[in-house]
Amino acid sequence: MKFALKVLPKPEVLDTQGRAVQSTLQSHGFDLSECHVGKYIVLEVNASNPAEGEKMATAMAEKGLYNPLIENYQLEKL
Amino acid sequence: MSRVGVLRFPGTNCDRDIWKSIELKGHTPQWIWYQDEFSPEDFDAFLVPGGFSYGDYLRSGALAALSPAMTSLKKADAQGKPIFGICNGFQILCEAGMLPGALMRNENGRFIDQWVTLKLENKSGWTPAKVGESFRMPMAHADGRFFINEEGLKDLKDKGQVWLTYTNNPNGSVADIAGVMNERGNVVGMMPHPDRALFEWMGSTDGLQFFDWTGEA
Amino acid sequence: MTLQEKLKLYRINETEYARITELLGREPQGVEWAVFSALWSEHCSYKSSKVHLKKLFSQSERVLQSFGENAGIVDLGEDEKVAFKMESHNHPSFIEPYQGAATGVGGILRDIFTMGARPIALANYLCFGKPTADRMSELVDGVVRGIGGYGNCVGVPTVSGQTNFHESYDGNILVNAMAVGLFTKDDPICLSQAKGVGNLVVYVGAKTGRDGVHGASMASESFDEDSESKRPTVQIGDPFFEKLLIESCLEVMKQDLVVAIQDMGAAGLTSSGFEMADKGSIGITLNLDHVPLRDETMTPEDVLLSESQERMLLICKPEKLKPLQDIFHRWGLDAVAVGEVIEDPVVRLIWKGETLTEMSPKMVVDNAPQYERPFNPWTSATRSEHGEISDGDVNNESLLATLSHVTGGDKSWVYKQYDQRVGANTAQDCSNPVGAVALPSGRALGVVLGCRPHIMRQDAWLGGMDSIAYPAIELASKGFEALATTDCLNFGNPEKKEVMTEFVAALDGMNKACEAFVAPIISGNVSFYNETLDKGVSPTPSTGLVGLRPSIDNIPASGFTSEGNSVVLVTLAKGCSQGLLWENQNKQGQFFFDTELAKLAQDTKNFAQVVNSLDVTASRIVGNFGLAYTLSRMTLDRGLGARIQWDGPAGLEPLYQVVLTVADTQKERLLSSLASHNIDATVIGVVTGDRLIWNDLDLSTRDIKESYASSWTKAFPRLS
Repeated sequence: MKFALKVLPKPEVLDTQGRAVQSTLQSHGFDLSECHVGKYIVLEVNASNPAEGEKMATAMAEKGLYNPLIENYQLEKL
Repeated sequence: MSRVGVLRFPGTNCDRDIWKSIELKGHTPQWIWYQDEFSPEDFDAFLVPGGFSYGDYLRSGALAALSPAMTSLKKADAQGKPIFGICNGFQILCEAGMLPGALMRNENGRFIDQWVTLKLENKSGWTPAKVGESFRMPMAHADGRFFINEEGLKDLKDKGQVWLTYTNNPNGSVADIAGVMNERGNVVGMMPHPDRALFEWMGSTDGLQFFDWTGEA
Repeated sequence: MTLQEKLKLYRINETEYARITELLGREPQGVEWAVFSALWSEHCSYKSSKVHLKKLFSQSERVLQSFGENAGIVDLGEDEKVAFKMESHNHPSFIEPYQGAATGVGGILRDIFTMGARPIALANYLCFGKPTADRMSELVDGVVRGIGGYGNCVGVPTVSGQTNFHESYDGNILVNAMAVGLFTKDDPICLSQAKGVGNLVVYVGAKTGRDGVHGASMASESFDEDSESKRPTVQIGDPFFEKLLIESCLEVMKQDLVVAIQDMGAAGLTSSGFEMADKGSIGITLNLDHVPLRDETMTPEDVLLSESQERMLLICKPEKLKPLQDIFHRWGLDAVAVGEVIEDPVVRLIWKGETLTEMSPKMVVDNAPQYERPFNPWTSATRSEHGEISDGDVNNESLLATLSHVTGGDKSWVYKQYDQRVGANTAQDCSNPVGAVALPSGRALGVVLGCRPHIMRQDAWLGGMDSIAYPAIELASKGFEALATTDCLNFGNPEKKEVMTEFVAALDGMNKACEAFVAPIISGNVSFYNETLDKGVSPTPSTGLVGLRPSIDNIPASGFTSEGNSVVLVTLAKGCSQGLLWENQNKQGQFFFDTELAKLAQDTKNFAQVVNSLDVTASRIVGNFGLAYTLSRMTLDRGLGARIQWDGPAGLEPLYQVVLTVADTQKERLLSSLASHNIDATVIGVVTGDRLIWNDLDLSTRDIKESYASSWTKAFPRLS
């Protein structure tokens, strides 16, 4: 059972990668007002049902796959 | 003579530098392997050296913070033992929740190796140096921008937990912060390298006194 | 596949094919194609250069290991030895700059710790094109990030470097990395000869993927619909894995669990397997299906040709396998027995129990082709017969222009991204002409790179000689004695007579200087075919020299340190060149050089001793752009200026002079010490104030610093 974790810097935190990508895109003439760079983590968990799987994936995220001080995450079932 | 535990993770690369620093001050270093739990009672102090534990993968220090040795280190903290993290060691202590804040990519997005001047803001249990004293030493990191939200920063300042600041902020750290301590002052962390300022030929000897603790926060 | 297609895929020419069928007594079959392709490649066989490399001066009393192993080794005395080598990673870095440069660093480090030495220093020699050339910002950014990304993570300090810019590198950048490793008293030297029938062949490190398989030949072919699956992937380096490999390999070697060891570099398992067997005059079996794979669909040929990174092949006694595996497992690495040493002097390649082929390593390795590529004797086009060379026009404006030009400006953007101090042994970092690290004995090891491409463009023989003499004198100016040399010979297409002519001339110049300075060349590589669309790079024989100094303390600074110091100009040889100043103005410069190399070497040696016997506060060789520029660089550290009173040239590049500063009280002692060795020295001025003043030249040190610091952003506005 596969789950994906989308991890992005919190809006209030300076996202240096996002800023660099944004300014490069803008220098190529693209019109955009925001850009953020994060991580996409795919987990194949050995669970017997989706609810259990989601619980396991959440536990993994909370164990340290994201840093609550600077990042937010969203869990998605694939 | 004091027994100092030096933690080693896969990818730690300042371990032997730290070993030398500790010996230079007349203490007795001893390795602690990341997979091993240990008894805090066997040591008088702990150092978490710099490097690239787990290649800085996921986030600097994040994977190391989950290792068995860190479980024991938290017990040592609970007993009030002095614990000092340098560079990647600082990142690990933050990720483990033993120090406040987080260390993010430098503002310019790059690794920076340069000499910096630091100022002691508040006394911790480490180093006999006085408040206001300044030190010159190298820094070398990509993820050294100290971040904490406004509320957290106010708290740090109110409780005197800002340990060291840069006189010329090189990486975009909040409030020029180069090093912090926990509330009790026994756990400290800093990004620059006192272990690279021990002899005249290195360019400075200001780092030496960081390998002593006084216990007075 | 037709024969023609096969020859193209495996990069074997008709003559070589005829030779192969003659040696085998039949046509090559199956994986034999891959074996010949790999071992007879220019990279592995040195087929265009071997006849010339054999003439190199490569031995001295200190040399413990010269060519033929992963790296050369010199004895420093006091139970210390160093292994070092330099290698090119030009083509991969042009294709994918980050990974190309990173894997270049990874590869050269493996050459060092494979021998049992702990890596203690890195240095990088880089040549880029014009800043405005296509992709150049991206290439510079990627290469620098790649070197830093790898070197910083494995924890080896980068202590020296050189970065050049010239249009001849627009389509072919050069990325040469040098690594130095230290053996202390109890560290064994490990070699690569397979030994001991019945011993096991063990594969260690990362799993094998399709990285780099047929990379070179595929790149020159048009892709068909079937190509996507076969397309070679870019080699990806993992410095974290390499760090684990360093620690675990050094541990198993120190515990005497290893009989022989070799890293899997270019041409991977094929070259390491055949070379280990060949060197031991013995046979080995290789069960290719036992090799840990990243992709289960790989064929035996893919396994043989893979250039996946961070892998080693070693030989151990059967009873040592378990303790050896325990150590590797502790570091989280796999170690798998894939074969054994056999009496029959053949390499037997096995796949799922079936022998694919067995070939004599001697037959393949010793019969690799050697070409005597045609060349002409060297004749110099730019040599001035009588040394009557006019000085350059140096004034306030022109000096500031040089300082703010990318060739004369600040390159700290590059080295600030490298960890120059990890290991806590660095005494002189990349901001100095010579890198220096402390040895456990309290002495200092110097590391410096050589080869000034503009001198090469002026005259290949002179440039070759200068690639040794210049760095040797840089070492001496900091009190080091040069011990030995490594090199990367970066040239264009050797099948072109003019390229081969320059190659031979440069090598002759280098060789004569190495012999005079007793700095033998003990390791290195040759990189030919640095050519795109018929345009080759400037001939660039980059060099790396190591030197020894009796103490780590009091190494002279590289800039002015104290008000009132005397500025002394030391002349070690008679010669000069209208160097970069002319080139930057698109003028053809001339040169003059009239000094016996043996005398230059002896004077240099004496000079180093004088530097160490006195309190020399600062020293700097007079390099590119001549004396005025060199003096201006000396003001940068502390903003101290100087007042110069001397009627010599300001804009000619001397071959060779050094600027020293000493306290006024030491001046007479310095002059008399040098005079006692018949070395010419003149007091040309005094360190004072915050202006550099010399005849019409009168600049504030702040303006000098501003111009110098502005050069990088001016050249690369996108890189900040």
